Amino acid sequence: MSAPVLEEAPAPPAPRERWSLHRVFSSKASWVLVVLAVWIILGSILSGIHTLTLATAAQSPFTSWLTEVASAIRGNRTESVAFVYFFNPVRGGIEGFIEVIRSVIAVPGAGDVIPVIGWLGVIAIVGFVVFATSNWRTSLLCMALLFACGALGVWSDTMDTLAMTLGSVALSLAIGLPLGIWAGLSDRALAVMRPALDLAQILPTLVYLAPLALVFLIGVASATIATMVYSIPICVRLTSHAIRELRGSGALEAARSMGSTRWQMLRKVELPMAKRTIILGVNQTTLAALSFVVIAALIAAPGLGKPIVTALTIRNVGDGVVAGLAVVFLAIMLDRATTAAVVRSDTILSDEGRVRRRIALAVAAVAAVAAIILSRQVLWAAVFPPALVIGEPVGAAADAATEWFTSTFSWLTTGVAEFLTVWVLNPLESLLVNSPWWLTVVAISLIGLLIGGRVVGVVTVVLLTAIVVIGLWSDAMATFAQVLMATAFTMIVGVVLGVLAGRSAKVERALKPILDAGQTLPAFVYLVPVLALFGPTRFAAIVCGVFYAAPVVVRVVADGVRGVSSDMVESATAQGSSSWQIIRKVQLPASSKSLMLAVNQGLIFVLAVVVIGGLVGGGGLGYLVLVGQSKPELAGKGLAAGLAIVLLGVVLDRIAQSSARRRS
Amino acid sequence: MTSSPDATIAVHSLWKVFGPKADTVVGTDLAELSRADLLAQTGCVAAVRDVSFDVAPGEVFVVMGLSGSGKSTLVRCLTRLIEPTSGSVLLDGEDIAQASPKRLRELRRTKFSMVFQHFGLLPHRRVIDNIAYSLEINGVGREARHARAREVIELVGLTGYDQHYPEQLSGGMQQRVGLARALAVDPEVMFLDEPFSALDPLIRRDMQAEVMRLHRDLGKTMVFITHDLAEAMKVGDRIAIMRDGAVVQVGTAEDLVARPVDDYVADFTRDIPRSHVLTLQAIARPVRGDDDLTGPRLPGTTIVRDAARAILDSQHPVQVVSGDDVVGVVTKDEVLRLISADDPA
Amino acid sequence: MRHSRPTTRIALVAAIASTGLVLAACGGGVNEAAQEPAAEAPAAEAPAAEEPAAEAPAEEAPAEEPAAAAPAECGEWGIAMHPWVGYTASAQVITNVAQSALGCTIEQAQLDEAGVTYDAIEAGSTDVVIEDWGGGRWQEWVDRGAVQEVGNNGNVGLIGMYVPQWMCDEYPDISDAANLNKYAELFVTPESGGKGAWYEGPPGYTTIGEKMIEANKFDFKAINTGSEQALIDVLTKGSEEKTPVIAYFYEPQNFLAKVPLCRVNFPANDWTDAAEASGLTDYPKTELKKLASTELMESGSPFATLVQNFSWTNEDQNQVALDIESGTSPEEAAQKWIDANMDTVNGWLEGTGASM
Repeated sequence: MSAPVLEEAPAPPAPRERWSLHRVFSSKASWVLVVLAVWIILGSILSGIHTLTLATAAQSPFTSWLTEVASAIRGNRTESVAFVYFFNPVRGGIEGFIEVIRSVIAVPGAGDVIPVIGWLGVIAIVGFVVFATSNWRTSLLCMALLFACGALGVWSDTMDTLAMTLGSVALSLAIGLPLGIWAGLSDRALAVMRPALDLAQILPTLVYLAPLALVFLIGVASATIATMVYSIPICVRLTSHAIRELRGSGALEAARSMGSTRWQMLRKVELPMAKRTIILGVNQTTLAALSFVVIAALIAAPGLGKPIVTALTIRNVGDGVVAGLAVVFLAIMLDRATTAAVVRSDTILSDEGRVRRRIALAVAAVAAVAAIILSRQVLWAAVFPPALVIGEPVGAAADAATEWFTSTFSWLTTGVAEFLTVWVLNPLESLLVNSPWWLTVVAISLIGLLIGGRVVGVVTVVLLTAIVVIGLWSDAMATFAQVLMATAFTMIVGVVLGVLAGRSAKVERALKPILDAGQTLPAFVYLVPVLALFGPTRFAAIVCGVFYAAPVVVRVVADGVRGVSSDMVESATAQGSSSWQIIRKVQLPASSKSLMLAVNQGLIFVLAVVVIGGLVGGGGLGYLVLVGQSKPELAGKGLAAGLAIVLLGVVLDRIAQSSARRRS
Repeated sequence: MTSSPDATIAVHSLWKVFGPKADTVVGTDLAELSRADLLAQTGCVAAVRDVSFDVAPGEVFVVMGLSGSGKSTLVRCLTRLIEPTSGSVLLDGEDIAQASPKRLRELRRTKFSMVFQHFGLLPHRRVIDNIAYSLEINGVGREARHARAREVIELVGLTGYDQHYPEQLSGGMQQRVGLARALAVDPEVMFLDEPFSALDPLIRRDMQAEVMRLHRDLGKTMVFITHDLAEAMKVGDRIAIMRDGAVVQVGTAEDLVARPVDDYVADFTRDIPRSHVLTLQAIARPVRGDDDLTGPRLPGTTIVRDAARAILDSQHPVQVVSGDDVVGVVTKDEVLRLISADDPA
Repeated sequence: MRHSRPTTRIALVAAIASTGLVLAACGGGVNEAAQEPAAEAPAAEAPAAEEPAAEAPAEEAPAEEPAAAAPAECGEWGIAMHPWVGYTASAQVITNVAQSALGCTIEQAQLDEAGVTYDAIEAGSTDVVIEDWGGGRWQEWVDRGAVQEVGNNGNVGLIGMYVPQWMCDEYPDISDAANLNKYAELFVTPESGGKGAWYEGPPGYTTIGEKMIEANKFDFKAINTGSEQALIDVLTKGSEEKTPVIAYFYEPQNFLAKVPLCRVNFPANDWTDAAEASGLTDYPKTELKKLASTELMESGSPFATLVQNFSWTNEDQNQVALDIESGTSPEEAAQKWIDANMDTVNGWLEGTGASM
């Protein structure tokens, strides 16, 4: 280059500025790196100081206070006013309600061999109801699935689970629909409910079992209430969304211009128009309730959760898989039955079609009644015929498959697990657990501040300090390390599969049943194989978290990638981009909001199974929750550990959400 | 503008200001500010500014403006789908703007109805139940309201479609349902908010003809909103042109073309073929002494285009009459000048 | 909704019709048929009891008059199921006996040990704990009158720290706790942070591992395994693959019969309440207790008597547990033991008027 050229066209200095120190320090990511570096250096110098470790059996002032509170609550159950006039009647009412349903389909009365209706009757009723609300194809599918549950040899457990689910859903809808409609109509109502809804979304399911059991005792009532706590927010959210998405619709304005009253608007316009989305909400509520009813086996809920929990303790993978399969069948049945009602409402029949359908309905009704009567009078229709049960071979096959898989692959899994534990988990945990607590609090809060802004920074300081005050700092940080690593793996799995599924309908179709099963299969079904593959290690707990969270993350990422406008992809293709370039430069950046949402969901789902992780050697807060549940003298510690999980969840959620907001 | 006592609708000093403390704008110096200045100073947007006009019984009154001119807000203020900030809207002397919620519902159910750009049909109801909706919410029994609905279905030419759902119909048919629904309560006034803007050009032309036919047959007073000047001139007895929330000019099509109040209106009407709008009155010149008054006589209200053939065929100047009086004459020269001006090429 | 209005109406009509028909058909034949031979119906499910029940119900009915009357009074009771196989064995045996001899309806509820179960008893969800290790943790519930101690169940529990047998063969002095530190390095895993991995018992179990490590200044780190299954996996692997492992375990547990383990001995035990243990001495021998709801014990039900009388040895329990572990269903394994030990079972039934 010669001088005259420079004189002619002086090069702009901008490209050089990119590398200047100023630029580096003005970018947030660099500041985060600086904080991390300082944390790591100081942490290794001060390692082992102020770590606030607390032995499993030791209590902090806060946890011993909570233990006393728990004991006082137990002591007051029979006398205190709150129990006599509120908690106990509520418990009695709910228990009575569920027991009525159970007595019809699940539990024989005293001295009886079958409930009010035998298996054939139940299948007939389900078939008829589904036929009446949707179509015969779905009806047949639902009947076949129920029959399969019987063939697996778990009819009575299936009916218990179904009864608990239906009862919980009925109660959840009775509360959730009106609340959701109200939140949909009134901004103020939504503002009041929002914090509770947000909290419910990140509240790990296994955490509130213990406090609920403390107040409502172990059993059906607690299980039902816990299920409702889990499913009502979902119902409220979707119902409110259903009403809200109508806002600004011309039909609403037109109806108003014709002089409808508020009530007429709601009843004749808004509800019918929102019906589709509301049914979707009912569908989600039902599936959530089902998955929770299974988990509630931990507090003695009857049903399919029982054999699954037992399978864990007497190493009977087969029984667990059989029960797990029944759960999946039940989930598919409930899912199809509720979504088919939506599809049905869209089909329009001709006059003769309607007549034909009426005749079919009448015939089906007669058949159903006949089946019900038969199921009360004839043994084979009352008790599922043992000759048709194939549960045992299925269980044995599952047993053998698991055995083969674990014995064949455990060398590989153990190797991978050890490698990742030594090189990733241990350093990470050491940084979080062995640094002085104040250093960690400051470092995480600064990162929160940088990523999420001042509010998030302050929230982080306050909540982390609260964990310190609770007295479970060290355990919380051990859990934190596992959650971070599990989320990272979940994201890797989720992005790879999600991008594939988002780009190809074929992959998506192939993945769908796996994702469906993954989302409905109760988390403890895969504990036994995971234990066999990884032993009681923190890595096993991480694997559980990944299994549980990956399906959701895959879905969110796939949705995001699919949502990238085809114009963008087409124009990139037209410019000659390769597939990889399109993924990296168009689809992933354009769906960055979904990716951040996926991270958020991943964190929340991983956190939700921290307690399960405690069952396979994860230690930390999850283990303490379990200890607190079984050792009354440490009850407070368990409750406090649950609280710490929630606090950790709020911190992570806030940071992840704010960064998602900033990106959009 | 003072309202005449026999006007069906009399709008007086109507304002709609959006934004924080909107009610502090009207009646102060702020009201004099331009749109941009008002936004800069107060964060408020005046969507409707001091609008006044009368609509005579049986008249089709068109409000015309580009998008953002405030015409849709205006029509919603008239029906109080949007609460006006100030001003009055008298319907047969009763102020809609002051009506109680109950009275407002009564008015909506009986005295006026509305047709929407995007139809606003209820997707979950059949055509017949869409049309019967307003009767239904007014407590009319099932038989009676269906009978009435079938009458209007026939009126708008939808016979045979009463059991369909809206989504099974084409856009033009959906808007026929919208019209039928608005007619079902036999209202005194109909408000039509860009009813044909979402339709294809061919269907739009059919529907314009349909509205004109209905107006001819039923004689409803109509307030018709559009952004299409050609449509406005086709259906409207009088047209109000809106700009930035204010009414710039009110008048007949001819007024607007022949006597625009400012460049904005002139610019607007530039592409309108004069011969399609102007009447003989507007182009006639006074009778001169040397005029041959043996030519044919035509009324002054005749549109030039309709009279063109007669004028061009005539050997003598055509006499323009108002009643029995000859008010002027038109010759080939005037007509040819007008027609050549329409064709810029 | 669309046109579904008429459909809904039809569905409603049909539902009403069917309910009506059901009510009309009331007195379900299956249940009535079942009630006639009373206790025989559930017994018929147990394969061993099938023969007498099927062959001569009519003949035996008068002879069993008192027995047939007694079961009618037994009623519905719950038994807590704890998550270890030995417990399952005991609970299943007593369940089988209660059902077939006394005609009780027994509901088994999967419940965690201790607090969860005591709460469940207080709530009326379950009634019996057949094997409790917890040296008085139930006192609070006893004080409130919800739970009663019903004596020992005959099993003696002994917790301890174990290594696979091959380690004792290879390093003979490892069975003395005092030498553990010498071998700490053998036990290092990625989980244990450079120290030996010391696998502790599951959440509900009595454990003092952390205290032992601290008091003896062991170069070990306690790892909370979370479930008994995890302990079994760890020890099995340690034995089969000859990897060094030290873990919490206990007897009676049939696992000890399958995989040879070697106990690491501490100085003789000097405590009963884990909270007061110094950590220097070994776990104590514990007489395992039976607990029951006050409701059951005061009901006069023969099931209360059965629970009161139930007692068997560690060996008995191991037999049943081994069968369960090797794949026999708990019901069958229990029945097999009952059939082979009629005398013992009839001893338990003394005072109920019934016998097997």
